[in-house]
Amino acid sequence: MTFAVRRFLPVAVIAVAVLFPLVSGPYPLAVAQSILIYMALAVSWDMLLRSGQISFGIAGFFGIGAYAAAITTLTVRASPIISILLAGACSAGVAFLLGFVILRLRKVYFAITTLALAEIFRVIVHNWGDFTGGPEGLVLPSLIFKGDSRALFWISLGGVLLACGLSALFQRSRLRFALTAIRNNEVSARSSGIDIFKYLMIVFVTSSFIQGIVGGIQVQLYGYASPDSVFDANYTLLPLAMALLGGIYSTPGPVLGAVLLGVAAEYLKLKIPYGHLVVYGIIIVLVILLLPDGLYGQYRRSVRDRARMARGGTAHA
Amino acid sequence: MPDLETFGLTRHFGGLVAVNNVSFTLDCGEILGVIGPNGAGKTTFINLVSGIYAPSSGRIHFKGRDITGLPAHKRAQMGISRTFQIIHPLENLDVLENVMLGFIFSRRMGLKEARRSAEALCGSLGLGDLSRDVSQITMLETKKMEIAHALASGPSILFLDEVMAGLNVDETREIVQLVQRVTRERNIGVGVVEHVMSVIRDLTHRVIVLEAGEIIAAGPYEEVAKNPGVIAAYLGGAA
Repeated sequence: MTFAVRRFLPVAVIAVAVLFPLVSGPYPLAVAQSILIYMALAVSWDMLLRSGQISFGIAGFFGIGAYAAAITTLTVRASPIISILLAGACSAGVAFLLGFVILRLRKVYFAITTLALAEIFRVIVHNWGDFTGGPEGLVLPSLIFKGDSRALFWISLGGVLLACGLSALFQRSRLRFALTAIRNNEVSARSSGIDIFKYLMIVFVTSSFIQGIVGGIQVQLYGYASPDSVFDANYTLLPLAMALLGGIYSTPGPVLGAVLLGVAAEYLKLKIPYGHLVVYGIIIVLVILLLPDGLYGQYRRSVRDRARMARGGTAHA
Repeated sequence: MPDLETFGLTRHFGGLVAVNNVSFTLDCGEILGVIGPNGAGKTTFINLVSGIYAPSSGRIHFKGRDITGLPAHKRAQMGISRTFQIIHPLENLDVLENVMLGFIFSRRMGLKEARRSAEALCGSLGLGDLSRDVSQITMLETKKMEIAHALASGPSILFLDEVMAGLNVDETREIVQLVQRVTRERNIGVGVVEHVMSVIRDLTHRVIVLEAGEIIAAGPYEEVAKNPGVIAAYLGGAA
């Protein structure tokens, strides 16, 4: 891909996305809007994955954000936009405090702990009585932008642009070097002068911030938060599957995966109600077996190999 | 005052004493050989000095400052650098980007400046075609990249952990000359862990011999090589 195309393509994609509600009917628009929510989560999950840490706690920070937005709207009458920002701050704050403990853990121990934390958040919210509304949850008096479906799409798109913007920024900065080094070998990373804890904390707090923002957006879109809706395991598992399909360790990968898997899920739901999850699962298994780098990873690899062939070298598998 | 000095450095792993009461010094401009049979504690010793492990007891002084409690990344930033016996170049980063790490994180350079500095450093070590994947380079180039990676932090003390392993005779000679050159040009103190005795003979000013975690001999190579205790340690049997 030439330099001009690489510059132009993201701008074109964003332009199409921004203009989409003006030409789309209500049904595709609603589907696209829900895909955007998962897309932002998928990008945020991948950002942390670049450090080698696999989080199963997306739904936890998403749910904290959702409740933070609902509670600040109801108690201090925060405006929807302010409540969404507070949601991000709240999730980031919780991640920061927990980070001192859980960022000492690695690999499967980290993964299991994040999964457990998300469940603990749900149980706390479930049992906090009036403050969180208990099992019934909280209902907001009105939807953001009076529930206008175009506005709902655009605000979800805002969440995606925030996630992609931060992700791209990380990839262009020293953070990419730090996280790649940490993922490869921590002993070697430390010997290069990398403060591992600091960089893990930066990326953990940032990805949790995005998840909180997206949770806040979700609550303002639906006007409703309950323990079972916002801490749903789908908010962890779908973004994870999307990133794996599209291609991990990149910004375009999770975006691509979200579009493909989101559209496929909707189509399958119509064709084979109740059976769609089976097909969905099969797709994920096949991707992991056949395309471990994901679609975008496969594309990048073929581009690299072609460049190498052109220079007279040999391609490697 | 020596640039690097340890006092009674000891490290236990459970019941095993990997490094036992090691006191040594290393000065800038000096090349010190660290030899001993497998399992003698050479790599553990480097891990203690570079901060990967904390010692069970003993102190480490660097340029007159006690650095025993400092984490590894701080020591790298202060100027203690190393290569690894088991090399692990970073996948997903090309050769140049691997070398950039030390410039970025130990010397706090911006990415552009780090890129320029890494290019210059690789050039001075005879390492070219830097946009290649690390899986695409030869063993000799990998070793040069490891050395460049360690030098990028701007060390005044550098440990080379079996950097000659896997090289043929000509390549070994090239790396020996390269180490001599950078030691002279940069006035750094180098600790060389090596099993190839001709390398130790050609390269080092002075040698310490470890066995079962303890220093059993120290001095110039010619002297140490004749030491009956050292011969027994290498060949086995009663001394």
